[in-house]
Order: sequence, then structure tokens, then C-alpha cells
Amino acid sequence: MIKISQLEKIYRTEDVETIALNKLSFEISEGEFVAVMGPSGCGKSTLLNIVGLLDDPDSGSFLFNGIEVSKFNERKRAELRKRNIGFVFQSFNLIDELTVFENVELPLIYLGAKLAERKNRVQEVLDKMQIMHRRNHYPQQLSGGQQQRVAVARAVVNNPKLILADEPTGNLDSANGNEVMQLLTDLNEKGTTIIMVTHSEHDARYSHRIIRMLDGQTVLENIMV
Amino acid sequence: MFRNYFKIALRNLLKYSFISSINLFGLTVGLTCCLLIFTYILHELSFDKHHQKADRIYRVTRSWSGPTGDVSLHLGTIAPAFGPYLTNDFSEIEKMTRLLQSGNVTLRYEDKLFIEENGYFADEHLFDVFDVQAIKGNVHKALNDPFSVMLTRELATKYFGNDDPINKVIRFDNQFDCKVTGVYASFPANAHMHPNLLISFNTLKDTAVYGEKRLRTSFSNNSFFTYLLFPAGYNVKNIESQFPNFIDKVMPASPESKSKPSQNTRLELQKLTDIHLRSHLDYEAEENGDIRRVYIFSAIALFILLIACINYMNLSTARSALRAREIGVRKVVGAQKKELIAQFLSESVLLSWIAIIIALVFTWISLPWLNILSGQVLSPRLLMRWPIILTLGLVPFVVGILSGLYPALFMSSFQPVKVLKGLFKTGGSNISFRKVLVVVQFSISIILIVSTVIVFQQLKYMQQKSLGFNKDHIITLPYITALSQTYDAFRTQLLEDPAIRDAGRSSRIPSTRLLDAQDSYTLVGDSMLPANLDIKYVSADYNFVTAYGVRIVAGRNFSRDFATDTAGFILNEAAVKVIGWKSPDEAVGKPFRYGITSGRVIGIMGDFHFESMHDKIAPLVLVLPPPLSSSYARISVKAAGSNLSGALNHIEKTWKSFLPDIPFTYNFLDENYARLYKSEQRQGTLFTIFAFIAIFIASLGLFGLSAFAISQRLKEIGIRKCLGAGTGTIVGLLSKDFLKLVVIAALIAFPVAWYAMYTWLADFAYRINIPWWAFIMAGLIAAGIAFATTSLIAMKAAVSNPVKNLRTE
Repeated sequence: MIKISQLEKIYRTEDVETIALNKLSFEISEGEFVAVMGPSGCGKSTLLNIVGLLDDPDSGSFLFNGIEVSKFNERKRAELRKRNIGFVFQSFNLIDELTVFENVELPLIYLGAKLAERKNRVQEVLDKMQIMHRRNHYPQQLSGGQQQRVAVARAVVNNPKLILADEPTGNLDSANGNEVMQLLTDLNEKGTTIIMVTHSEHDARYSHRIIRMLDGQTVLENIMV
Repeated sequence: MFRNYFKIALRNLLKYSFISSINLFGLTVGLTCCLLIFTYILHELSFDKHHQKADRIYRVTRSWSGPTGDVSLHLGTIAPAFGPYLTNDFSEIEKMTRLLQSGNVTLRYEDKLFIEENGYFADEHLFDVFDVQAIKGNVHKALNDPFSVMLTRELATKYFGNDDPINKVIRFDNQFDCKVTGVYASFPANAHMHPNLLISFNTLKDTAVYGEKRLRTSFSNNSFFTYLLFPAGYNVKNIESQFPNFIDKVMPASPESKSKPSQNTRLELQKLTDIHLRSHLDYEAEENGDIRRVYIFSAIALFILLIACINYMNLSTARSALRAREIGVRKVVGAQKKELIAQFLSESVLLSWIAIIIALVFTWISLPWLNILSGQVLSPRLLMRWPIILTLGLVPFVVGILSGLYPALFMSSFQPVKVLKGLFKTGGSNISFRKVLVVVQFSISIILIVSTVIVFQQLKYMQQKSLGFNKDHIITLPYITALSQTYDAFRTQLLEDPAIRDAGRSSRIPSTRLLDAQDSYTLVGDSMLPANLDIKYVSADYNFVTAYGVRIVAGRNFSRDFATDTAGFILNEAAVKVIGWKSPDEAVGKPFRYGITSGRVIGIMGDFHFESMHDKIAPLVLVLPPPLSSSYARISVKAAGSNLSGALNHIEKTWKSFLPDIPFTYNFLDENYARLYKSEQRQGTLFTIFAFIAIFIASLGLFGLSAFAISQRLKEIGIRKCLGAGTGTIVGLLSKDFLKLVVIAALIAFPVAWYAMYTWLADFAYRINIPWWAFIMAGLIAAGIAFATTSLIAMKAAVSNPVKNLRTE
């Protein structure tokens, strides 16, 4: 599903050049659950942003479902992103002015789904995430665990092929963290590919494969049994 | 999608209620000003358009040019003989109608006796050319017979109450009777003339009133408003080009002049719908509007709206940091740039919609108040027409897009990666742009303040500049022909009261226009030759000069001791100068001929302002008409200042004892002069109001912007305080940035304001030098307001507990 080869990303300021990704190459197949680990500044998040089409590499190739997307412009990237990729962030990133229902509905609006379809789909996902009873609440009225469940609901509402999770349990206690990891595992079992950046060995154990990074390169790959 | 935009827009407005209310308030006030000015402009542009044939109607005007080719006089009226000749010579003229102002007429019906203004003689074709709504009587016959009159509904009610006015007889000026043959609806406010009563034109044929022969042959009494109706699509240039030949054909050439009449007089056509805004001739039916005023106020409206829009741009981009995460999330879940732009624009459009709805209510409420200030008769109904409503419906979109586009483009370009990581900072270019916008706002405000100060300085100058005589305590009365036999006794009785100092008669009084002129002749060699000069005249009696206290600088005033003074002339210094005599003393005793009267110059008076300060002092000659002459129009009574009411009582008593049948009316000359500058006075008042509103909206924006900017610097303030900075230092530090912007704004505004006011002042023959202190004052006002605004917020930040600020950060 994802084939990355010789990917490079360099951040430049006036005096300093920081290599975030250094000729990175790997592949991820459809249905895989991959955890990306490494110390801060090793390039995990840069990798996630590039795979999530939020950022573009300086050089190298990135095939998404066999299509070269590294040179896509902003519009094409947004188009591909909204149909195929869901995001889950450490800080949830829900919109405070929208209710739970409206936050989850948002990707469907940008996909151009009809009102009835949106309603059904959001209800279905909220039911699955067991937060239907909170549908009319605003994010700040929810606990951290509930907020992350909403974020996961939002990430999956348009049935993306790929979910990118950036330290999804980073702001949660262990009980809520486990719940979120279980949700991700369930989604993966139903066929969704998941790439998760994490510092937590515990969370990484939910994945099939761990890619360990250092200085913008993969240094180790563990296959989980 | 739009439902979602709308929902978010509404929630954002509520969430950021401080900034939203500043934006909403600014936009509402700005739009209210615009709507008020728009109503005024609609009114001004609507003049005379209510006539079905408006675009086919033209007024014939007449101008005279001096030897140098300059137009010395241009009247909106022509001589009575031209009309019939025009219809005779030009078959393309479908209809011609003439009107003549009757001046103030005294109307008596039974025991009711009133002086009526705005009476007109009008011919029967009036109704074929103009749309006048008849209420009673047959418009096709009502003005046919001599001594018929039509009244407005209001006038009919005034004289006849609920009785049927038709066939009632009204006495005019105690001279002739007219039968009421019709009643019509008053001309609307947006008409260039407002006749209260229409006397049939055929009445003028009566020798006692005017005389048929004069009507047919006079080319010299140019008092007749003459309107022509042309076929649709006719190019009037065709007929205008034939006017010179036409003039030479119909006008008898002057026996003394070798040139053709068309060489010094012209006829021109003026479109009916252009009269109100574009015609400022020496004689008009009423005071017209001015297209320049329409432009000036349109510009002010746009400026104020621009200031309000800038507030929106500034405050929205300033608070964009607060919305960065939302934008990032939306992009991550699939929003494209265009969708975000649409979202932000829908917020500004929604705000504009709310603003325009409130502004419409404000406009409705404040229109009567504007009417008082501007002397207009504006009605909110002007806005209640479909094309206008549809235009108004577009306004929120235009204003919303104008104010929202920059913030929308700016915010929609945020990189989700950066904003979601909290790496976002409002960039330098965006801050600079905001500063530019503040500079624009304050530049406009400063220009308006400078303009206001200069308009008022010029007004003050015009009202206080010495006129060359003392205008105080002069009461003017109409001169009634019936008084001519008994005038000396009337005057003697007037002077019996010590409250009355003097009284004199004249054909025109100072504060009115000088429109009468005849050819003047001076001695060259042995013969009197035409001087080819434009010298105006006023018929004045022995006491005109003394009543006004006009200085005689050489020679003497008219005197009863010299029977020959009816052939004597008193010139002003300007006349002496244009004739080319070296000094007033040299001029006295020179032979002079004016029109058909030959005689000598007996005195020279010092120049004085007969007309307004818009006009240069014109060369003027006073002529003394023979006794019992009907040339006089007004009596000017000079009262002692100490007992004005006593003087008025005495004048009224004297009037009633001589003219028991004529209502007593009077004017104070100083009030007449004040009226000359009424339109400037109103313009000044409106300038003040709009300048105040502009700077108010600008400082409102500055208030919001500085509140935001200072909230971003709380940590810095905390650290500075910890290091020992005092409140004053911090207020100074925070206000300095904004004051710098005002200084830049002033430097931009000054030359623009100077140029604008230089152009405005050029319209006055007598004007002030642009005062330098007006600029300093405007700059200080703007800086003072900016400082007050920012220091208020800076003070709050400076006195707050630094520990709290550091913790907040």
C-alpha cells in the first residue's frame, strides 16, 4: 500500500540544516498495523506528516497504492487525503466550537456526503465508539478518553484505508489509553491499515511490526508475534 | 456545506464576542453612514425624473459674453419673445412652455390676506410637457383664459377650507382678480421648482399686468423660464448649432453696435434632469444642488465604510492565531483551501448581513435628524424600490468579501503541520500589513479633521470679513408700488421714532445677486463710445448709501438739492478701475452714459460686498430713477441697535397705517447673509459628524487591535516589571508603536488634505490661506485619541500582577 524509497526531508534555517529524513525506505502492506518508534527528533512525526500528505518530501519517492504522490500539489494531496486517510492526534485536535456530532461529521461534509447519509454514518460510528449519548456535547465537556474516542470516530467516519495515529495515548491515563488501543486494533482487524507513532513500548505491542528510527533513518524493524 | 459554514460563523461570532462586537458595531455605524449618504445621493439624482418625458425636456438658457469672450452673465431664463419664435422656426420642437415667477404676491379672499411666495405665470402647455397631477379642474383648459389661477391643494385649503375652490375669485396685489380654475398636487421635493400657484400666462397679455406687445417683442426682460419638448432620441446639438443664426434673424440689432447680436449673446439648451445638480447659473428658479457635493459625500461614505472594513481585516487577522488549530484540523480532515476561504467569507458576509439589517433600522431612525442638519427632505421610501433593495441585498456580499477576503486568504494558507504542532506564529508580513491598514484608517480620519477645520475657518472668515458696510440692524421690507405716491410721508413717519436711523429704497439689496446691466459709454476724444464693460447697476434713492453706511470716497451721494441727479451716477471703486480712470477723484465729474441715460459721475463709493464671498466684487453703478419710478423692490431700514423690537413695532405700525391691505413682512439683512453660506454651513456640520464617526470607528479598531497585541505581550510586560519597569514606562512602550503609526498617517494625510482643501477653497473669490495649525491640530487630535485608546489598555496590562502574567504564559 505504501512504498517509500530514498525519502529525504531537510529543514533549513539561516544557519542550521536539520536532516529530518535521511534517504528513508520501507514498505507497508494493506491491513498492516505498524508502530514507528524512536527518540524525539528522529523524524517520526515528519514521516507521519509526509505519509499523511500534510507535508512533501524534498526528494525520494512515495507510492500510495502504486501512485507516485510525492510531487502532488496541495489540492491533489487534500483530495487523496480526505478519501483515504484518517488522523488521530495526541492532543485530540477537536474543534472546540463544534459538538461531538459535528466534529465527527466534518470529514463527510468535505467529502460532499448528503445530510441523511452523514447522519446515519455519524450515528453508526458514535454508537461503535460508545459516545452516542455525548453527541450534543462540546469537546471541553468531555474527559480525555472520551475526546480521543471522538477523534478516532472522526478519523474512521469516512472509512479510510489508512489511519495515522500520532501518539494517540500520549495524553491519556492507562485505562483510557488501553481502550483507544483496543479501538485501533479492532479497526485494523476489520482491514484498516494503521501507522502509529508512539513512545510507548506497551502500545507498540498492539502492532504487527515496529519500525525504530534514529536520525531520520530506520535502524531496526521488529516483527511482533 | 453552507449550513455548516453558517453555524460555525454564528458560533465564532459569539465565542469571540469582544472582537465581533467591535467589528459589528464598526460595520453597522459605517453602513448607517453609507445608507444615509446613499439616501441623500438617490434623492439628489432623482430630481425631475418623475416626469414621463423627462429625458426629452430641455430648458433654454441665455448667456452674454463680454469683449474678451468671457461669459459675463448666464441666466436660466430667456426673454419672452424667444419662445414663440423658437416653435415657429424649429419644427422639431413638439411643445414649448413658459413660466414667469410672479414674485411675492398678496392674495386676498374675503377676510383672508396672505403674501404668497413661489407664484408663477404659466401657459397651458405646461401640462403637455410636465407631469403635474391635477386634483380638480381640467388641466387642458384651466390655464387658457386670462385671470385664471390654479392652486396647490395646500393653498386651496388655506383659503377655502373644505369648500370647493373652483370658480372662487381671489384678489391679487389689490390689482386684479383671478378665478380659481383648478387644484394640483404640490410639485415633489425632488423638483427644481415648486410653484404654489399657477396664474394663466394669458393674464400677462393685459397691459396693466405686463402687456401683449412686450411679450411678443421683448428681448431684454430675460425672466421667462422656457422649456422645450423634443421627440424621443432627438439630438439637440442639431438645433443648438442653428441658434446663432436664429438669434441674428429674430433679434433686432442694436443701432449703435456694428456686431451681430449672436456675437455677444447665446442661447443654450440644458437637459431638465441636469438642472438640479449641474446648473449654477446666475438666475435659477431655486437654489440647486451640486454634483460636487454628491461626489464629496460619496467619497466620505466609501471612506467610512473602508475604515470599518479595515477594522474587520485587522481584528480578524490579529485573532487568526487563536483559530490556527481549527484551520489545521479542518485541512487534515479534508478541507481544501477554497472551502476554508468560503467558510471565512461566510463569516464576514454573515456579520455584514447583521450589520446592514441594524444599519437599516438606524438609518430609518436617524433620517429625520439628518434632514434637520442637512436641510433636505429625505424619505426612507427612497430605499424602498426593487432595484435599490436588490442593490442593498448585494451590499453585505461586497462588504463581507471586501473585509473578509484578506483574512480568509491569510488564514486558509496556514500549514496544518505547523499549526497543529503549535509552531504557528503570526508572521512579520502580516503584522506589517495590519500596520499599513491602521495607517490608512488614520490618514482618512486626519484628512476629514483637517477638512472640517478648514471648512469652518472659511465659513468664519466669510461671516466675519468686513463687507464694506455694517450689515447689522438693517431690516428690509418689500417695496409696494402702492407706496410710490406716499413714500416720502411713509419715510418721514418711520424716522419719527429715534429707534430708526435711516431708510432707503433700491432695486436690489446687498446679499442678493447683481444681475442687471446695461451698456456703458465713456468719453473717448470728442464722442461717447461703448466701453464694452460688464458694469452692473442698482437703482437706488437718496438714502440707500446712507442707510447702508457705504463710504463715499470721492464726490458725493445723490441729493435732493440737485435736480439733475437722475442723470448722475455713483460708481464703485471696482468700476473706476475697469473703466481705467486713475483715481476716484479723477473719475468724479467725468461724462458717463449708462443705457440710455447720459450724465456725469457724481460720486465714487468704496467697494463693498453686495454679493456673497463666492463672487468677486463686481463693478457697480448706482442710478437714481425719476420720482414715482417703479424700479424699486425693497426698502432698507437702518435701526439703532439698542431697541430692535421697538424699531420693528414702529415699522409695522407705520406700514399698517399706510398699507392696511398688505400684510407686513420683513427680513433682517444679517440673516440674509447667513443664508448665503447655509449650504457651506451644513456641509461643515456634516463634515464634523462624519469626521467624528470616522475617527471613532478607527479608534474602535485600534482599541481592539491594541488589546489583542498587548495580550500577546503579557509575558514581556511581566518580565519587564520584575526587572523594575514602572507603569509609565510600560504604557509608553506599548503606546509608542501605535503612535508611530499615527505620525506616519499624518505625514500621508497632510498633502492629500492640503490639495483637497486648496481645490475646495478655489471656489471662493475671497478665501482664507490654508492655516498650518489645522494640520497640527488634526494630527494632535488623532494622536490624542490613539494614545487614549491604547494607553487605556496598556495601563490595564501595566498595573496587573506580573506573577500572574508570567504564570499565564
